[in-house]
Amino acid sequence: MSTLLTIEQLSITLQDKSILSTLDLSLNEGDILGLVGASGCGKTTLLNAIAGFIKPSTGRIVIDDNLLNDGEHCLPAEQRQVGMIFQDYALFPHLTVKENIAFGLSKLSKADQLEQIDHLLTLLKLSDYRDSHIHQLSGGQQQRVAIARALAPKPKLLLLDEPFSNIDARLRNELMVEIRLLLKQFKTTAIFVTHNKDEVFTFADKMAVMAQGRLLQLDAPSIICQQPNSYQVADFLQLGSWLPCQINATSAQSLLGKVNLETSDSKRESLLYLLVKPSNLLLKVSTDANNHMNAQVEYISVTEQGNHYYLSSLDDSTDDESLAFSKLSVYSDIVLSLKQKVALTIRPHHYLFFDKPT
Amino acid sequence: MLRKSFISLFIALFFIAAFSAKANDIVNVYSYRQPFLVEPLFDKFTKQSGIKVNVVFAKKGMAERLAREGKYSPADILLTTDISRLIELRDKNLIQPVNSAVLSSAIPKQYQAQDNTWFALTTRVRNIYSAKRLGKIDLNYEDLADEKYKGRVCTRSGKHPYNVALVASMISEHGEAYTLDWLKKVKSNLARKPQGSDRGQVQAIHQKLCDISLGNSYYFGKMLKDEKQKVWADEVYINFPNQKNRGAHINISGVAMAKYAPNAKNAQALMEFLVSKPAQALYAKTNMEYPVREDVAVSELVASWGSYNADALALEEIAKNRTTALKLLDQAQFDL
Amino acid sequence: MIALYNNKIWKLVSYVTALVLIVPMLVMLLGGVSASTQLFLHLWQTVLPTYLENTLLLAFWVVLLALLFGVLSASIITQTNIVCKHQLRWLLLLPLAMPAYLVAYLYTDLFDYAGPVQRNLRTWFDWQSANEYWFFDIRTLPGAALMLALVLFPYIYMLTRGTFEQQDQNLIRASRLLGLTAKQSFFKVALPLARPAIAVSASLVLMETLADFATVQYFAVNTLTTAIYDTWLGYGDLGAANALASILMLLILFVVLAEQRSRTGLRHQSARPNLKRELIQLSFGQQILASLFCWSLVVFGFLLPIILLIIMAVQYSDITQLSALVSTGINSLKVSVFAATIAVFIALLLGLYQRLHADKYRHLPLQISGFGYAVPGTVLAMAMLSTLGPVDHWLNEAVEFLGFAAPGLMLSGSLFAVVFALVVRFSAIANGTIISGIKQIPQSLDYAPASLGVNLLGSLTKVHLPILKPTIMMAWLLVFVEAMKELPAVLLLRPFNFETLSSQVYQLISDEMLEQGALGAILIVLFGLLPIVLLNKHKEKV
Repeated sequence: MSTLLTIEQLSITLQDKSILSTLDLSLNEGDILGLVGASGCGKTTLLNAIAGFIKPSTGRIVIDDNLLNDGEHCLPAEQRQVGMIFQDYALFPHLTVKENIAFGLSKLSKADQLEQIDHLLTLLKLSDYRDSHIHQLSGGQQQRVAIARALAPKPKLLLLDEPFSNIDARLRNELMVEIRLLLKQFKTTAIFVTHNKDEVFTFADKMAVMAQGRLLQLDAPSIICQQPNSYQVADFLQLGSWLPCQINATSAQSLLGKVNLETSDSKRESLLYLLVKPSNLLLKVSTDANNHMNAQVEYISVTEQGNHYYLSSLDDSTDDESLAFSKLSVYSDIVLSLKQKVALTIRPHHYLFFDKPT
Repeated sequence: MLRKSFISLFIALFFIAAFSAKANDIVNVYSYRQPFLVEPLFDKFTKQSGIKVNVVFAKKGMAERLAREGKYSPADILLTTDISRLIELRDKNLIQPVNSAVLSSAIPKQYQAQDNTWFALTTRVRNIYSAKRLGKIDLNYEDLADEKYKGRVCTRSGKHPYNVALVASMISEHGEAYTLDWLKKVKSNLARKPQGSDRGQVQAIHQKLCDISLGNSYYFGKMLKDEKQKVWADEVYINFPNQKNRGAHINISGVAMAKYAPNAKNAQALMEFLVSKPAQALYAKTNMEYPVREDVAVSELVASWGSYNADALALEEIAKNRTTALKLLDQAQFDL
Repeated sequence: MIALYNNKIWKLVSYVTALVLIVPMLVMLLGGVSASTQLFLHLWQTVLPTYLENTLLLAFWVVLLALLFGVLSASIITQTNIVCKHQLRWLLLLPLAMPAYLVAYLYTDLFDYAGPVQRNLRTWFDWQSANEYWFFDIRTLPGAALMLALVLFPYIYMLTRGTFEQQDQNLIRASRLLGLTAKQSFFKVALPLARPAIAVSASLVLMETLADFATVQYFAVNTLTTAIYDTWLGYGDLGAANALASILMLLILFVVLAEQRSRTGLRHQSARPNLKRELIQLSFGQQILASLFCWSLVVFGFLLPIILLIIMAVQYSDITQLSALVSTGINSLKVSVFAATIAVFIALLLGLYQRLHADKYRHLPLQISGFGYAVPGTVLAMAMLSTLGPVDHWLNEAVEFLGFAAPGLMLSGSLFAVVFALVVRFSAIANGTIISGIKQIPQSLDYAPASLGVNLLGSLTKVHLPILKPTIMMAWLLVFVEAMKELPAVLLLRPFNFETLSSQVYQLISDEMLEQGALGAILIVLFGLLPIVLLNKHKEKV
């Protein structure tokens, strides 16, 4: 598989505000990349820069060996062969479904246009709506038209800006699967932006996490979930809760006890945060002497995976304020009541410690 | 690049020149007079001479337009309704003398410029209209300031050229101080603040809003001929003021040739036509004005108002006092 | 907002066009700077303070009355349950078709001492003279303000109603759930949200008022406009007149800019607003009052004047007038069609420039091109002569230099000057309409064509212009009607033998002889009705 998109040292400044800084990214042909990050992190700006709607201050964007941007040169959007599906679909209200899809096909002959349109209408189950106007369609149908229109000119790269945010939650998963299959069928390389990580798991081959104008991590979704490379990544993806630990040469001390570190790496004596997934916490209530009560229930909710609790450390458990925790997330079949004291222990696993960014 | 644009400029200018070829038999008139007043005359002129008359009419700003247009102005002739305009045109060097025996012999000396720059066509009196209910009265302009007419006088805006000319003649006769005082007293006699036209004042007398108003002579005739306005005119007498002393204030409508008149010959022909007997008779008959020629009779209706003594004050005097008159009107806050 | 294009030619044309439109005002300003102070001093010591006071009072009353008429009627129509709403909804727009000076004349005729109203009153009560009873005098400042407000309020009504109708009703529902009654919600939520629309339309009314000259002159209300005419035509001091006009223009601009600044950031827009409205239920008595209010605006602003005109036309018109009417009518149509087409074209050029181009100052061309609205017609005409005169001279000299005969005044002495003046004067209307239409287009539609490989030209012809079609038509018609009504600029700049409907009607009015021009006046009004009918049709379709 060859590289389709390469972005090097991309920086964007809008109205004296730095939106993206020295961002590098590359994407293989046929891959679907899910771009996640908190709102305002620059993901939509990145999309707009690739599409050619924004001129970057510095950096290069290359698609399929064509240079789209370097410091001065900037290829106009319409010459990039980059398609886009907009958050509001941006369908042309004065045109019919057919005319919308035909919009980017003016270079083809009439016959080829019709063939291409019919093909897409069938694929997207829109044949009955061929001559309808946009306002006569439901949200899901509009979404399909937007996709058909974007795919029609066979773009090298398809950009999707929060494409599923306006779709009913129940339909959303179904539609995502369908569209993913479609993109794969067309062998389309795509980048889609979302703030919902679950959409990435369903839709994407690769995942990129962005924060404050920087790319934090880019990898397969499963790998990022197992190996987040920073506190921000793990925190944004809500991979678990945070337990403050005092690190010594070979062990980490927390209010839940001491764990031994597998490798005594060079980490100095410092306060780090242990990423604890709910499955790695063991909860007990029986009052035998072995079980030291070290947490209490702060919040209770019921989920498909059992009861969900938020636990906090006990007020009098330690003198060291910095080790106190307030929101450890645990699932358990045991029924607990608010403020009930429990004993928590950590199952041995591959520990991930992170510095909390200030 | 430079050469290319030069050539295209040349071509453009050539086309401009080619498409603006001029018709020969025309004369262009800038008129302060309303078209329907002068059109019958022009029609007659065209029929006689074959020269087409183009008119553009405005009550305001014609002289200013002429000044802006400068030497490329298409205007040949200016028609005005007031002596001050003519003098202003001459002072701004916008008109030229016309040496025509026809003109100078037909028009009395006091009604043409010594330097032949302007010529009167008709004269009009600034009359005082009075309600018939007051009975016959004999008035001077000075009497408008009399306290017994408190709340009984109506007039159009003091700034209207006809009133400004009257005020200017008052200044010539009595001096600035007297005139200012007179204006203030007239103002305090007004039934309502100055507004409307000369006809509107007669309507106001008809409405019993006031008893006395100022108005030009020919309006009386025109109102009598109008279905609706006859009712108003029937309510008033037309009076010629100051008959026992200096005489009634006279203004003129006049004509002058534009300095850069492109059709000077046709223009002169039109000017001479306008003082011809038939034209003057038409002025008298349709417009109810006093023809400037002494050998052309006024209309029967106008004749029925009787003869009058005119103020012998030179028209140029009136024009000279115009700015002072305006300032006095402002000082008296006449229109407020 | 991120703009997409950087088309150099478009940029150049936009800036040049805006510059051309503002040159007459610059000429005026420059002329004003060199004015002598002597005449100023005289005016200031005598009449100017009163003129100024009248101007401010007039502006104040007109805007106040127009706001009262416009906002109240818009509120009643959109928020309450009165009967005949659908008819009133568009009937209330009709007064827009009436030129103010016409209404002023007709009402003076009607309510004067000799008019039918007072005459009948006298007969009924057996009064003998004006001293025996009190009757309002219409030819006063409040009278003039009322006349102007009666024909100008539809601007406010139209824009305010539009805003109310587009408001997201979830906002009203939210306020109801927070404990406010329907009425309180209206005053605390709906009305404040409509403020931008109200402010824009009020500033339109303000500018129309300050530029009016026919109505105030007919009513003998001396305003700053009077002072400008006096200094220019009476004292013959163009410099001082320019200075006064510049002051007036800057005053208006200041108001407009302050208003614009005050409402930046006040915007709520929902992608899919909920438009289902819950009406304020009025009691029977309230309904009658509300209906009466709306109907009297329709009657006094339109029905009564048009009936009076028709009566006059029937009584006084004869067939011979018709042929003259046709030629003046064609003249009116000609200038108005040219002016409307050019103004709309310019508005599109500059509006889309602002929307689509990456230029830090992209708002500038559109903004400055509308300044002419704030200049009274006669002053504008004067500025136009001062501007076009030199250009004409240069052209003539160039042609003569090449050895041809001088072509004469092609710009200042032709229809060009009239049309140019109308475009300068009414560009603001076209600009406002077009830009509000452009703002309705979602930003993503600017990007979509590019993402489909379509360039700027394709995007314009296939997306923006088709979507803007109704807006373009509206803007065209609004300018067309204003141009039909416009008077002073046409009066002074006319070429030879060129009479328009408005100039003819106005001349007859100033000789108290409207009867003769009643047919022409009716024609002006009928043309004025066109956009209203079409606007109504269009709105209903949507």
